[in-house]
Amino acid sequence: MKEQILQTLHSLRAYAVEKGYEVVIFFHEEDSYLMRFANSAISLNTNEHLIRLEATAYEGRKRATYEMITDLNQIEAMKQGIDIAAEMVHHAMPLSYDPTIPTLKADFIDDSGYDAELANLSNEERLAYFNRVSGNLETADLKLGGIFSNGANTLAQINTRSPYVQYFKTSDAQVTAVLSHEKLKWEVIAEQSAQKKTDLKPETLNQELSFLIEHYQNDTPQQLPLGRYDIVFGAAATAELIRFMNWIGFNGGLMKRGYSFLTEEKIGKKVLSEKITLTDDPTKLETFPQKQDFIGIDRGAYPLFKEGVFQGFVWNQDDADEFGAEPTGHTVTHNSLVLEAGEGDVNSLLDLVKQPRQEDILYIPFLHYMNIVNPSQGLITGSSRFGSLLLKADGSVVIPYNVRLTQSLLDIFGEKVAWLSRETIPYNVSLSYGARNPIALIVPKFMRVNDLEISHANNSY
Amino acid sequence: MIEKIQQEINHLKGLGAAYVDTRWYPIEEQNYLLMWNGNLKTTASSRESGVGIRVLYKGAWGFSASSDLSNLSALYAKAFDNARIAAERVTFPVRLAEKDAIEAQFESPCQMNPFEIPLADKVAFLRTMDEKLNQEGVEQRISDLNFMRKKIVFVDSEGSQIEKRITEVFSTLQVSGRDADGVSHERKFKLGRLGESRGWESIDMATFSKNAERIVKELNQVLVAENCPKDDRSVILLPGIMFLQTHETIGHALELDRILGYELAYAGGSFVTLEDFGKLRYGSEKLTARADATLPNSPGSFGYDDDGVPAKNTVLIDKGILVGAITGRQMVEEANAKARKRIFMESGGANRATSFYRVPIERMTNINIDPGDDGTLDDIVADTEKGIILDGDRSWSIGSNREQFHFGEEIGWLVEDGQITDVVKNPTHKGDTLKFWNALSAVGDETTWKVQYVENCGKGQPNQIMQLGHGVPVCRFDNVRIGE
Repeated sequence: MKEQILQTLHSLRAYAVEKGYEVVIFFHEEDSYLMRFANSAISLNTNEHLIRLEATAYEGRKRATYEMITDLNQIEAMKQGIDIAAEMVHHAMPLSYDPTIPTLKADFIDDSGYDAELANLSNEERLAYFNRVSGNLETADLKLGGIFSNGANTLAQINTRSPYVQYFKTSDAQVTAVLSHEKLKWEVIAEQSAQKKTDLKPETLNQELSFLIEHYQNDTPQQLPLGRYDIVFGAAATAELIRFMNWIGFNGGLMKRGYSFLTEEKIGKKVLSEKITLTDDPTKLETFPQKQDFIGIDRGAYPLFKEGVFQGFVWNQDDADEFGAEPTGHTVTHNSLVLEAGEGDVNSLLDLVKQPRQEDILYIPFLHYMNIVNPSQGLITGSSRFGSLLLKADGSVVIPYNVRLTQSLLDIFGEKVAWLSRETIPYNVSLSYGARNPIALIVPKFMRVNDLEISHANNSY
Repeated sequence: MIEKIQQEINHLKGLGAAYVDTRWYPIEEQNYLLMWNGNLKTTASSRESGVGIRVLYKGAWGFSASSDLSNLSALYAKAFDNARIAAERVTFPVRLAEKDAIEAQFESPCQMNPFEIPLADKVAFLRTMDEKLNQEGVEQRISDLNFMRKKIVFVDSEGSQIEKRITEVFSTLQVSGRDADGVSHERKFKLGRLGESRGWESIDMATFSKNAERIVKELNQVLVAENCPKDDRSVILLPGIMFLQTHETIGHALELDRILGYELAYAGGSFVTLEDFGKLRYGSEKLTARADATLPNSPGSFGYDDDGVPAKNTVLIDKGILVGAITGRQMVEEANAKARKRIFMESGGANRATSFYRVPIERMTNINIDPGDDGTLDDIVADTEKGIILDGDRSWSIGSNREQFHFGEEIGWLVEDGQITDVVKNPTHKGDTLKFWNALSAVGDETTWKVQYVENCGKGQPNQIMQLGHGVPVCRFDNVRIGE
């Protein structure tokens, strides 16, 4: 298939060159499988095989894009798509800056993140995995839900400036297993991200769910009093917070447009806790990385925060062109963010619950429906969900109803950070709106932040 | 093509499938233009076509989709195989509510096909808007145009064959700037329902110009305003935020698949239970809400849903009492069986998919609040002792069972003793859903009622984006926490 894709791109380039077009041609292929569970049944079993071709035409400072869903046999339709982009660009309006057209210096082929065994899991294997996750946990009241999503993702690019191609192929899987109590309405979750088949470990999820279920069945639920809490975030919550920082933090273009809580004056200054070291590291296969960006810039580890000191913004090519900045190799579908491990000895939920403590600790594994209240203040809001615990100072455990947290990311990752786990874990944050685009972050398993305000407390889950 | 589809459907019926349907999209097109600070950042068009096949076998669904139509038989076989495996884990066998076999066509109202309008005209419109927004106080100005057009052919094993042609037009103007402390604020105008059709004629220069001027003026008011106080008072929601309150705390909460737990592992559930229908006081007596897919000219009106059920106007909340839900064929059968009574007489015709490669699920249609008899906005303000008028959706975050919420708005106007006093910045309001709707104390009349469009409602796995509408009046709620 790879050869056919590359051959198709070369012939489309030849067509565009012959016509005198200036175009960049992107190819995206996904083979997606998703088994969805609800109410202990398979509620949907689906697969999609889709090929997208995107042609962006340039004419001086003008550009226009045409995208189509197609298949590799429709070469004439693809050529027509390029013609349409070339026609559209005549009518576009010049930008106020010179857009950079990528000029690749050599072929770049990377399929190191592809594992055929993971990409081609059968229906039977997906079902067997989930049956092992749920094991003996389901009851008349406890219902299994979740997804097993796996597939293959191929990105390729060619342009008329150079005869070389980029080709990236990855495999990925995202597993979410939820057990929910039909009458009491509590839910507990366990998740797994996989880049290769051997990453799949259903027993781990089964153990995590078993542990939480035991507490949720035996411990007392409670509406928490409003106030300030020492909070331990699980990997899902930490990853979600970092994902928002990726959005309204160190993106240079958004900073210039006023949608960031960081400014250029902050570069080189201590902004966050010294325990926070955050890097964009495309050497980590677990993050489904791009080791070269779409402009042809090779990507290595790029520091964002080093012991709390802000190292600098990331710039994709278009923003760099517009604002006169140097591109940093971030013209990519997603970053490969790694939050460094810390010195905390808590590396499992069992460790956390058993750890001696002098004060109450609120454990929030998952933040639901986060949103940005004000980007320039870094102010976000979201609710706890899926298996929170209030670990009382006396060693007992209470089950808290969901609570709302409305805080600045500067506070959450600031001086209130007490510790991060020694162990890290890849956490899959992929969404499947439109084209498949697997994304994972590597984060410590747990992060403790003291003295955060709970602004709303539910009287139910 | 249709003949071939029918042959394949018949073949799977012969293999034991209880039901098969196919949505064939001969064409789906989109044209999107985005201008940011005078730069035409995006000039994009797209086109796709393909088929999605849904098979019901031994009580379980299988689905398969592809843009490659060269081997339809293999695609149908794959969908059947997906259902066969799913049938190994069935707890409540899927049944579909009765419906009539229908042969019909539907076309959304459109006078001027936006895909026939020259690109130069669209660019000229954005350029004009950009110039109007380029005023003192404005740091960022964004304007966009989003046109969609699709033809969908629906064929099922029960004898239905429906052809739909739908055109959508969306547009937004947005400005933002920073106050003396460097904190950003924004104000926007989103195109809603202007008349009886939504083609290029919706891009009405006079309407956009007037609103461009308004949002610039209001942004400048916000930039020098004091912060929203943190206290409890009456909130008066204008349609620019009332639509989202309705969307998040009535619409999503009353999707029957959520109520039955089908979204529990992702989007969340609902605080509503099957026992609540006909009994639960959802809101005050002033609240009547409906799912009205028959409203002319709205993205939430589509003729027939993707089960092949005709559009309906379903009352959801009648004078405060919960009476209905947003439903499709599968969920009404399951809900009735689980409740051991007939809560739902038939499908509400609200099962829709975002594209040929996604499976239909319960989606909002036009989730509307009926206008009331509390007069105009001025009347409501005059009747308010201590309140705040809120407008413009800036952020929204809702509890997993839709039981509580937090909204941030673009602008607030304080109301004291029946008079509007000061503009405030960073307004927010939050609350518990039932408590909030039961605090509904005034509902504006028809002069305050507007249909707001939503172009990007997300739900489901694999994720789906849906277009819909909300017809809402100005409403007042008492004793609400603001400014947190």
